[in-house]
Amino acid sequence: MPTVRLRDASEYPESARRLFELSRQWFDYDFKEPPAMSRVMAWDPHFGGPHGRAMKRAMAPGEFSRGEKEMVAAAVSGVNACTY
Amino acid sequence: MTGDDRWYEAAFVVGITNALNVVADGLGGAPMRQVEPETAPAEVRTIFADIRAFYGTGGPAADVLGGEIPMPFGLVAHDPGYLADVWAAVRRAFSERRLTRRHKEALAFAVSLTTRSAFGTAFHLAELRRLGVGERGVMEVVGVTQMFSSYTKIADTLQLASDMADIAPPDASGVPNPGAG
Repeated sequence: MPTVRLRDASEYPESARRLFELSRQWFDYDFKEPPAMSRVMAWDPHFGGPHGRAMKRAMAPGEFSRGEKEMVAAAVSGVNACTY
Repeated sequence: MTGDDRWYEAAFVVGITNALNVVADGLGGAPMRQVEPETAPAEVRTIFADIRAFYGTGGPAADVLGGEIPMPFGLVAHDPGYLADVWAAVRRAFSERRLTRRHKEALAFAVSLTTRSAFGTAFHLAELRRLGVGERGVMEVVGVTQMFSSYTKIADTLQLASDMADIAPPDASGVPNPGAG
């Protein structure tokens, strides 16, 4: 049970809904609602914006592929005992 | 990264990396000496030779850790049978199969960084470089590790439920033949 009430996408302003579309493109998946983390980050675009850009920069293909990096991210999340 | 076999490989790398780090970081400063190659019994010397070959002469074991044999192996070598099994598991986990060795080292580096293992971070960073990963590649792994160390704590603080669980397609392949490499 989340500590906060996660707002539906429709409750966010238009600027945040554009971020949700970018999130959908990033994951290449049609969620019924944007992922919970996207909605959390949209709560404060001045935090979520740069945080998301740093993530995308880190995850972009370089010496390692996006797939390899997703697996590294999964391992880090596992070691952090995070089920999200 | 579809297919369960890759995820099994990754999980084994994460697990055995943590096992090595626990011994190295936990016992490294304790009054427990490592078995030295010069005085080791023959069966241990044989394993040490294989370890040297796997990590390369002059690799991180020598350059970073100040010794020929990575610390966790030297520490557990007091029981040669145990060393043999631990090394066999490490060798298997880090050998190139569905995942490349450099990818496995990236996983081990990320896990070591996340768990604040001084030994593991230095060792796997040196291994990444030995395998040809440049500063940009290292920074990529650092970035992923750092950002997902942030996301996970935000998710935990807010107790978010996963919304990714149903995305991955089920893997229909069977249990592999363990002898098939």
